[in-house]
Amino acid sequence: MYRVRPLRDAAIPSRPVATPNALNMRASWHVLTDALRDQRRGLTLAIGVGVAWGAAKVAVPLLTRLAIDRGIVGDGSLIGWTLAIVGVGVVAGALTGVRRYLSFRESRNLERRLRDRLFAHIIGLHIGYHDRAQTGQLMSRASNDMQQIQGFVVMIPLTLSNVFMVLASIVILVASNWLLALIALAPLPLINLLSRRFSLNIHPTLVEVQQHQAQLATVVEESVTGIRVVKGFGAEGRQRSLLRAEADAIRSTSLRAARIRSSFLPGIDLLPALGQIAVLGVGGHQVLNGQMTIGELVAFNIYVALLVQPLRTIGMTVAFGQRAAAALTRVGEVLATTATVVSPAAAQRLPPPPGGAVVFDRVRFGYATADERDSLVLDGFELTIAAGASVALVGATGSGKSTVARLLLRFYDPQAGAIQLDGVHLALIDLDELRRAVAVVFEDTFLFHDTVRANIAFARPEAPMAEIERAARLAGAAGFIAALPEGYDTVLGERGYSLSGGQRQRIAIARAIVADPRVLILDDATSAVDPAKEHEIREALGEVMRGRTTIVIAHRAATIALADTVVLLDAGRVAATGTHQQLLDREPRYRAVLAAWAARDQTGAGETGADVVDAGNVDAETVDDGAVAPGRVG
Amino acid sequence: MWMGGGVAAEDRLNRGQFRTVGRRLLADSREHRRQMVGAGAFVLLAVVCTLAGPLVIRAGIDHGIEPGNGRALNTAVIGYVGLIGLSYLVGRRQFVYVNRAGEGVLRDLRVRVFDRMMSQSMAFFDEQKAGVLVARMSADIESMAEIVQWGLLQFMAASLLVVLALVVLAVLSPVLTLVVLAVFPALIIGSIRFQRQANDAYLAVRERVGLVLASIQEALAGVRVIQAHARQREQTRRFNAANAALYEAHRHSTVISTWYFGLVEFCGVLATALTVGIGGWMVHAGHLSLGTVTAFVLLLASLFEPVQMLSQMYNSLQSAGASLHKLYAIIDRPPEVAESPGAVDLPAEGAIEIAQVAFRYATGSRSALTGVSLRVEPRQRVALVGPTGAGKSTLAKIVARMYDPTEGRVSFGGVDLRHATLDSLRRRIAVVPQEGFLFSGTIRDNVRLARPSATDAEVEAAMVAIGAGDYFAGFDAGLDTEVRERGSRLSAGERQLVSLARAALVDPAVLVLDEATSNLDPGTEAAVEAAMERLMTGRTVIVVAHRLSTVRRADAIAVVDGAALVEYGTHDELVALPGGRYRALADAWTRSQPVLTGE
Repeated sequence: MYRVRPLRDAAIPSRPVATPNALNMRASWHVLTDALRDQRRGLTLAIGVGVAWGAAKVAVPLLTRLAIDRGIVGDGSLIGWTLAIVGVGVVAGALTGVRRYLSFRESRNLERRLRDRLFAHIIGLHIGYHDRAQTGQLMSRASNDMQQIQGFVVMIPLTLSNVFMVLASIVILVASNWLLALIALAPLPLINLLSRRFSLNIHPTLVEVQQHQAQLATVVEESVTGIRVVKGFGAEGRQRSLLRAEADAIRSTSLRAARIRSSFLPGIDLLPALGQIAVLGVGGHQVLNGQMTIGELVAFNIYVALLVQPLRTIGMTVAFGQRAAAALTRVGEVLATTATVVSPAAAQRLPPPPGGAVVFDRVRFGYATADERDSLVLDGFELTIAAGASVALVGATGSGKSTVARLLLRFYDPQAGAIQLDGVHLALIDLDELRRAVAVVFEDTFLFHDTVRANIAFARPEAPMAEIERAARLAGAAGFIAALPEGYDTVLGERGYSLSGGQRQRIAIARAIVADPRVLILDDATSAVDPAKEHEIREALGEVMRGRTTIVIAHRAATIALADTVVLLDAGRVAATGTHQQLLDREPRYRAVLAAWAARDQTGAGETGADVVDAGNVDAETVDDGAVAPGRVG
Repeated sequence: MWMGGGVAAEDRLNRGQFRTVGRRLLADSREHRRQMVGAGAFVLLAVVCTLAGPLVIRAGIDHGIEPGNGRALNTAVIGYVGLIGLSYLVGRRQFVYVNRAGEGVLRDLRVRVFDRMMSQSMAFFDEQKAGVLVARMSADIESMAEIVQWGLLQFMAASLLVVLALVVLAVLSPVLTLVVLAVFPALIIGSIRFQRQANDAYLAVRERVGLVLASIQEALAGVRVIQAHARQREQTRRFNAANAALYEAHRHSTVISTWYFGLVEFCGVLATALTVGIGGWMVHAGHLSLGTVTAFVLLLASLFEPVQMLSQMYNSLQSAGASLHKLYAIIDRPPEVAESPGAVDLPAEGAIEIAQVAFRYATGSRSALTGVSLRVEPRQRVALVGPTGAGKSTLAKIVARMYDPTEGRVSFGGVDLRHATLDSLRRRIAVVPQEGFLFSGTIRDNVRLARPSATDAEVEAAMVAIGAGDYFAGFDAGLDTEVRERGSRLSAGERQLVSLARAALVDPAVLVLDEATSNLDPGTEAAVEAAMERLMTGRTVIVVAHRLSTVRRADAIAVVDGAALVEYGTHDELVALPGGRYRALADAWTRSQPVLTGE
């Protein structure tokens, strides 16, 4: 996978995702209840097994009492009672496992389904959403938040069967000796209360510990990735003291958490013993008075011990529930976001290929919302391209060239005006059909962690090998692919083979060629390819462009020359149209734009490094020139 | 979670290594010894309290209830109340002591590992991946935190409890103890098997969590390409497969815990039943008191819980040991000796003399530089030009003494950089990297990087010096604006401005500049160019140039190709050189820019 970087466009402001409201929260609960309903069979089974488990657990002290009173103290069959206990023990053991298994299986399954749903939803959301959303936040929705929800869901069947067991035990205790039951059970609600308070108390402190840990990791990360700056300015001492401060903060916050533990946990651990003392004291005297048997006394003690764990977990469930609710609200917010760019209900078909006529009619567009009118990128933009024609878009940074490409893909809808493809309004075309008809090669190449072949055939995985090879050849990529360790089967990406920026651009061009679109847009697609190589690609591109509508966004004159017509953009409008030579002759603005680009273009060293990689010398390359090492050039 | 951790086979320490690492940790924690001794004492006390409970009950039954002695019963009850009070106090203290010791050890470890990391040479950072180093300081130390906060306490308590419980049982009734021990082989074999399976399950879950996250991240990063080619459905299907694999790993790990917890529960019930059955028969026969049998049943809990806990803790301990091993490997690396004994301060001004310099990266298979000689006069501006990977950045780094040359020497004002004090070196020579690298904190903090003691006025003066005195005034908090992680609050151009102000604050005699290759946002491009020009004025400059305009403004051009200095001269001289490299470069460049030739 390649470095995450948003499309370069100064006009996109970053802004947080919408804040929650009451409606969102109710919708969020529906997300959970719907998911639970879908799994009601499995959950019911888990609860049923849980109830059976509770019954078996409750039966053990009962049998122990009978074994003591009738078997040991009385003259009954001790072996019989022992076997009965063993029998129930086997059942209880088995049910403990099955109850756990079913609860976890259901909760993990719910987590999986919810994550699937979230992924499918996010990936279908309009690009405007993705421009503003933070990757880390969305990742956290799909991982941490899902875990919190799962942690609560698993507690649902477990808690329900615990409640059943607690109630059954209380009924038995009260029925056999209500006074003793009252005394024995008195401290138990406190366990529940304390557990709940403990969970609520310690949680913010643990969050704080995590924050300090994250900050410490940031210090380390910045020191290591910025080591040249740290060493260059002798800032090692500064970084050390920053780290020391964070390490101290982690220690003091962790100790605070330890103090919270120390004030709750020993109490929670020892409260049941208070009940047991009371049973021994009061019950012992009752036995002495002949009001109670020894077996009953022992059974009482076992019951009290039995109730401890369930009561603790019931206390924890409440805290888990609160955390899950927060997570659910966050997930619900994402799921409640509706895609603003969707396929029309009744789509119109495009006329049969080849086609490719494009019309922009008085298009107005800005990345910000309507209330920020001054940030318009295109304003009154008019452009007509005949089917099969080729046009070069030229303009300064921020003049709106790349926006034209994104609008044609319907990444965004214009605020005013209309865009048509082969006479059909874009909004009336099925999105999939539109995006099969239009292919863009972005300047910021993104390749997938997959084989070269899969990357080239991304748009049409069923494309035959011959077609993939032809596309690679036309994009000038066949040569270096052949030199890769496993050719077309070489896996690319961070965990795979690193390509140079120019090589990646050539793969992206091949990908667009395989897509075989009506309209091909090359958005500065050869910016990282060195001039000598670009020359080869240009000739091959001629073959791809023949009979196909092509929009070339470029600033190198030779690339511009690929197109029949040149359109000069300025401040969101078409400033001039003509051939390259015509514009050079009569448009001072055109000359100015090209000169500005020329002045900041590199001294021709652009991709020579990539050719070194072609020759197979990667090691020294990745060390030298750190920021422009192959595979890291945007 | 029920699985504390896991460790991959290649990271697993053998017994000897494990012992060495453990011993060293103990030795290193000498400072915290008092806390540790206190912790140990309180843990021991807590265990004794736990075991004493059933014995008090036994006394109550045997001496109070059975013989009908109400006073003995009351004594037992009062004794039990006292015991619980004591346990409570001991319990509270043990948390405090154990955590103080543990957190102290972790804090020291964090500081020591990082200190050692920072004193390593550049070669260390070239060969180590940044992600790995960050993982050492976060994941590896945190995997020990779990042990320190919970595990160590539980491990000590559990081991003690098992041993002492067995002793008490054996004293109470050797025969009954043997009977109870009959279930132990099954429990121990089960625990060992569980520990192995849990380890593998943990690793499988961790791996698949990583794959799911990678899949999401890739989809988010590539969402534009995915939507552009209408491949959402296929990408979702791929994600579903990864997600299903994760579910399967989770399910499998649940299966493992299911059989194990069932087994433990069954063993517990079986032991209780055997105690009641055989113990009851012995009570009948008069070999044993009823109180003893009751105490036995209660003590069994002290035996089964710790065994179960130990088997789970084993994996956590293993992974903590493996982490510690890796951390010690960093601590054991000798630091770079940056300042030679008897180092002298660099003079205020002087020429840079590069003499017969050769260099090879520790990780490189070939020389990055060979036989480079170059003299840069005071206030002269030299542009380094050449293809990527030819060695020009390496040369710049050597001048800034990021690396020492393998052969030859670099001197400033006649002093070999290797014999200069680090402090004077950093004051005379400043580096401005290609991209403005910012640290979290305010703009001011970032400018102050080289001199944290610089006053606000000095920071502002540095801003004025590069002509950006008012640039950040428009920000809400001005120079106190938080730049956020990696300076993400600022644009690339703004980051570069801060980076230039940082160098201006140092006010160096020599500036080593690596020019940005990428285009900046139009709003700041002009400001950055002006700032760069002002910073370079009146200083000796060595600039790794990527733009013709920069090259044209230099006093001399040095062409680096194939790890060697191949041409040196002014633009006009070099263009006139028939068959020259610079001429070829300039030609290739102008060919792709016919517009400019027309100008």
